[in-house]
Amino acid sequence: MVDRRRIQGPEVSVAPIIIKSADKRTCLKDEHSRRRDGRNLEDICPIFLKTGLISQANGSAFIEIRRTKIACGVYGPRQTKIPSFSGKGNLNVEIKFAPFSCQKRRQPYRDAQEKDLSQLVIEALVPSIRLDLLPKSTIDIYITVLENDGTASCLAAAITCASVAVADAGIEMLDLVPASSASYIGGEIYMDSDLAEEQHETGYLILSYMPSLKEVTHILQSGDVDLALTTQAFEQCTDACSKIYSVMINSLLLPIRDTQ
Amino acid sequence: MAPVLISALEADYILKGIDDNLRADGRGRLDYREVILETGLITQAHGSARCRLGEGTDVLVGVKVDIGTVDIDGTEEEVATVKAKRGRVVCNVECSPIASQQFAGRGADDINNELTQMMSRVLNGPQGGLNLEKLCIIPGKACWIVYIDALVLDYAGNIVDTMFMTTRAALFNTQVPKAIIHDLGDGEVEFDLSEDVEEWERIEGWEHVPISVTLNKIGSRHIVDATPLEELTTEAKLHVMVNRNGKICGIQKSGSGSIEHSLLSEMVQVHIFVI
Repeated sequence: MVDRRRIQGPEVSVAPIIIKSADKRTCLKDEHSRRRDGRNLEDICPIFLKTGLISQANGSAFIEIRRTKIACGVYGPRQTKIPSFSGKGNLNVEIKFAPFSCQKRRQPYRDAQEKDLSQLVIEALVPSIRLDLLPKSTIDIYITVLENDGTASCLAAAITCASVAVADAGIEMLDLVPASSASYIGGEIYMDSDLAEEQHETGYLILSYMPSLKEVTHILQSGDVDLALTTQAFEQCTDACSKIYSVMINSLLLPIRDTQ
Repeated sequence: MAPVLISALEADYILKGIDDNLRADGRGRLDYREVILETGLITQAHGSARCRLGEGTDVLVGVKVDIGTVDIDGTEEEVATVKAKRGRVVCNVECSPIASQQFAGRGADDINNELTQMMSRVLNGPQGGLNLEKLCIIPGKACWIVYIDALVLDYAGNIVDTMFMTTRAALFNTQVPKAIIHDLGDGEVEFDLSEDVEEWERIEGWEHVPISVTLNKIGSRHIVDATPLEELTTEAKLHVMVNRNGKICGIQKSGSGSIEHSLLSEMVQVHIFVI
């Protein structure tokens, strides 16, 4: 007995054809070595960088690279609360991932990874800031990651953004610190990789570099890599940093041009 | 961390000594102190090792393995299927207050966290060496979790290198109980652990676990295996992790200084010479 109230399907059925490539890795780039968003392997993404978005902060900046969105506020220099003997100023960095910023919800309290990333940002920025001119003072940098599109490129963006915010606060620096990242996927270097590419990576390199002084302020590499490939990635990241540097300078000049 | 200070004269003495390739204890720039490595000291642990560097730095590493559930947090299906077949490594580093005054109270929090994250970054992933797939018991359900706990008992500089050496030795020493899998039919699988110690096995791939070489930049030169006074003079450190095939498994800078572009490339090359 057939139930007439139901929608009648065809009498014969055919199994659906599932189109799925055997190796997803090949999908990361096409035959012309263009990546999913049309970039070449060595290209970085366009950057949106703007200063002075947070009214209460002494200096602030906002950066957007693909879906990565990071806001940064700089407060200080102010007097160190618990004074201990030190001829140099203190730099305090707090990175916070918004609970909705990653694929998995992050706990609102500060976790071990955030503490570690904060430490890395401190190490990347300290060489560029004239802390010797600010004894007994503290500079606070608060970084909020609103959206994370790849942890390595996110950290690089956070360093870039924080450096611009410090400059925006009028704190004396030796140079701006642009940072860039690269992923090692199948023996090739993918500059500025996104979240999907990052899941296939066998390693990464994050480099922050002061272009005017030609000094590396921070380097972090993970993965099983040949010396030759590391050297190549190192050169590519240095070039990328120089490109990001011009974006940073423009973002600082723009508000001044506007007032004129 | 409470700052430990160095006088300008002492710093200058160290700097000039390094320029002349002669350090306070008679070593040259690229000379290591004597290493004493012992394994299997702790019976409660599945593997343990202790390393003394010269007359000072002392690190004890205990490895315990435990059964845990498989952690699948990669949302992409392909990544999840790879993860389902793997065990994992959990690291923890603790600098004991007996090692140095600066580790007392909450003073060690920052350095503990930094070292723990550094070790996790190196040991989890393809560069870590361990064959994580061999640590899987039932795919998607149960796996071995390798807990590596490092304890810094005495501090005379160069914790990072000592820590990686000791970890490698402790993993060599680790014996994992054998899991016997019973198929109950209908896809139901259970397992028992073998009581027989003779059947316990080493973790596959321990020989590929990397070690670290730390280069300290002092003035315009760099040295290995710094003493505490030399570390206070150090502007920036570069940790380079290398495995037995000479592949680089990680590079990390620490410290407050910066490194010239050309010097950095040279420093990375130097590690191979040291090994």
